[in-house]
Amino acid sequence: MTVAIPLTVVGGFLGAGKTTLVNHLLRTAERRWGVLVNDFGAVNVDAALIAESGSDSIALANGCVCCEMGDDLGAALARLAARSPAPEHVIVEASGVGDPWRIAQLALIEPGFSLEPLVVLADATALQRQLDDRWVADTVRLQLAHAELLLLAKADLASETELAAVEATLAALRPGTKMRRIVGGAVAAADLSFPVDPLTRPRASRLQADAPGHRFRSWHWQPAHAIDRDRMRAVLEALPASVLRVKGIAQFAPGDMLLLQYAAHRWAYAPADAMAPTGLVLIGTPDLPAPAALQAMFDAALAC
Amino acid sequence: MPANVTVFVAREIVTLNHSLPHCTHVAVREGRILGYGGAEIVAEFGATLDKSFADKVIVPGFVEGHGHAADGIVWRNPYVGFYPRIGPDGQKAGGFRSIAEVVAHLKAEAAKLPDPTAPLTAWGFDPIYFEGRRMTAADLDAVSTERMIVIGHVSGHIMNVNTKVLAACGFSRDSNIDGLLRDAQGTLTGELLGPAVMGRAARASGDAGLVREMDAAAYRTYGQIARRVGVTTSTDLSNALSPGTVEALTTATAEADYPIRVVPAMQQRAYSVPDGIARIAELKRLNTGKLHFGLVKIVADGSIQGFSGRLRWPGYHNGAPNGLWYVAPAELEAIVEAYHAAGVQLHIHTNGDEASEVATEMVGRALAKHPRQDHRHTLQHCQMADAATFRRMASLGMCVNLFANHIFYWGEQHRAITMGPSRALRLDACGTALAEGVPLAIHSDTPVTPVDPLFTMWCAVNRLTPTGRVLGADERISPAQALHAVTLGPAYTLKLDHLIGSIDVGKFADFAVLDDNPLRVAPEAIKNVGVHATVLGGQVFPAQ
Repeated sequence: MTVAIPLTVVGGFLGAGKTTLVNHLLRTAERRWGVLVNDFGAVNVDAALIAESGSDSIALANGCVCCEMGDDLGAALARLAARSPAPEHVIVEASGVGDPWRIAQLALIEPGFSLEPLVVLADATALQRQLDDRWVADTVRLQLAHAELLLLAKADLASETELAAVEATLAALRPGTKMRRIVGGAVAAADLSFPVDPLTRPRASRLQADAPGHRFRSWHWQPAHAIDRDRMRAVLEALPASVLRVKGIAQFAPGDMLLLQYAAHRWAYAPADAMAPTGLVLIGTPDLPAPAALQAMFDAALAC
Repeated sequence: MPANVTVFVAREIVTLNHSLPHCTHVAVREGRILGYGGAEIVAEFGATLDKSFADKVIVPGFVEGHGHAADGIVWRNPYVGFYPRIGPDGQKAGGFRSIAEVVAHLKAEAAKLPDPTAPLTAWGFDPIYFEGRRMTAADLDAVSTERMIVIGHVSGHIMNVNTKVLAACGFSRDSNIDGLLRDAQGTLTGELLGPAVMGRAARASGDAGLVREMDAAAYRTYGQIARRVGVTTSTDLSNALSPGTVEALTTATAEADYPIRVVPAMQQRAYSVPDGIARIAELKRLNTGKLHFGLVKIVADGSIQGFSGRLRWPGYHNGAPNGLWYVAPAELEAIVEAYHAAGVQLHIHTNGDEASEVATEMVGRALAKHPRQDHRHTLQHCQMADAATFRRMASLGMCVNLFANHIFYWGEQHRAITMGPSRALRLDACGTALAEGVPLAIHSDTPVTPVDPLFTMWCAVNRLTPTGRVLGADERISPAQALHAVTLGPAYTLKLDHLIGSIDVGKFADFAVLDDNPLRVAPEAIKNVGVHATVLGGQVFPAQ
């Protein structure tokens, strides 16, 4: 079967450093990135790296590809997925005035993609001013509202006092969310992915192992037998806010397997390989209910 | 030997020309107006008298200052609207008063498709007028379960689909995504809200549907639609102006019998700022009498009824969160400044009052840095602006083109849901705009509402909603002011007032020939005045 391609949405207000981050990823090419950007002209790749260049896409010698999104994000994603070889990981740069969470939901409904944590950048030198601006404050707040990884860009341009103040502001807006200071868009692939993809990395233990000291907790549910759709729906509807993400293969009947993706109280199913291992991985904040409580919660979804 | 002179005689001619506001004869030579006056000018110009309009009324040809030539392409799909519209064939379409009537029409349209699995896309649906319930996937399944069915709403923000489309998208009762509407039992109704889920459904249907690229045939069709309602010049606002579209435009408008002049506006966001400035300069070299490049359109916010317009305090009446910036204020400032400094004229789409305020502010900032007389930057829609914003626009030399048709089509919804009882009084405030001295045009935004300048005049003069309510009696304008706002007013906002919009010597001989004088009929009857013909550059196009 085709493994779903991890998809990371990178949001943040104009000037927050999204393009700088994209340029960094393309240059370092830790993975075979497929990047969708709003403004193709702003992408700045060393000409020596370019293998093939078109009016709305460039292919790099390092295997990465960067395309302009255009009006139809779903169609652009489909084109990326159809490339040979397909990208190992897709980055979607959200519009500087848009709500990145709305774009992230597309990964829940586009077949072939698996949603990674929502990354939102904040300009360490400008965030306070933006949050005080009567014309844009609500836009910036909306962009931060579903962030799962906050990247504080231009950290080198702000004093330690300013950085601490911005971090306190962000912590108040998104309590418990992972935060990282970056300079020059420098992030590593591992920073962007909390490895929760059960298709490639089925063992929940990896979650703890990979990220020492992070503020997330996780839990793995292995259902004893088939799941009932309506009961599962009731379980998902009742999940507390501390559950950030659920992903995995649900078996509703022998041979009736679906890939479930859940994020921020929204979820969708996509077709899955009948031979895939079943089970769900949860990832959440430190307030995630205790394993026994989660077990009881999810076992309520089992068919009789 | 000078070319032939024709004098048209009419029952009355309204010139919008201070030298002689009303007369009976107009002389035309080489496609231009040679003179006007009484019967004496026939001899004085040595003209041939044309009596075919002797019992008609001639006014300057109407100018649609904010229309979309896409009106010429949507008709390739069935129209299923509540209000009847005149299609490109001149026949009445739509006017469906119930879901059952829509379904019956779709069945008839589906029966015309030889392939039983071919997708069917329709447009113009407006459920807000159907009492009791919304359309569901089951309604559309009654049309077909074999083919994908997609019904676009007139607002552009919602669509209805059948079960086959839901299944193809992977949308089910088990999905929980923003934009999937459900009934009380949690079952998907087939109504999809927002670009994400709508885009997914449109692609899953496999139908080009409502996103086809414009071709020459589409511009021809739009020309037919527009001339039947008396339009002789229309904007196409806006257009990415790809090489293919420009080819279509130049081809269609070069045809001898092409019935209108077209003023396309270049879609700003399709280009980087330097590329856009270069592109518009390059396109202006293609200008002809019937094709006028030069405008650039910027879209600042979304729509009010889609809750994506940017509103000032107190925001949406029903408490919905504020809408979206399509370009953020700082970005708008940079774009406006660059185009302004390059000498380009801007038409800026602003629906909410905050968007209008910000766009005005940014024009002010650009002017402070680059003083420039007579720029005529125009706010398009500008539906909620208050008197202070209009005063600032006037002092900055800006123009406005208000969406008067909204008062009828969505006035009740704005009053009840989006703007509330007080702000709705200033919905498309033509009276305030004129009182504060802002040059005014009014528009249809076709195909959002049908192009029909007499109807648009009627809206601005009467401000009636479908319930019979007068929404903002003090914002009503006179029939004469309304006629100006569909002729010389929009011509001024397009910087074409020296060529079109009034009957004056040297201007194009562009007329609307009407059965009655819209300035003399009862104000509530303006929309019923018949269009007999148009004249474009002296060439007669019978309306029927």
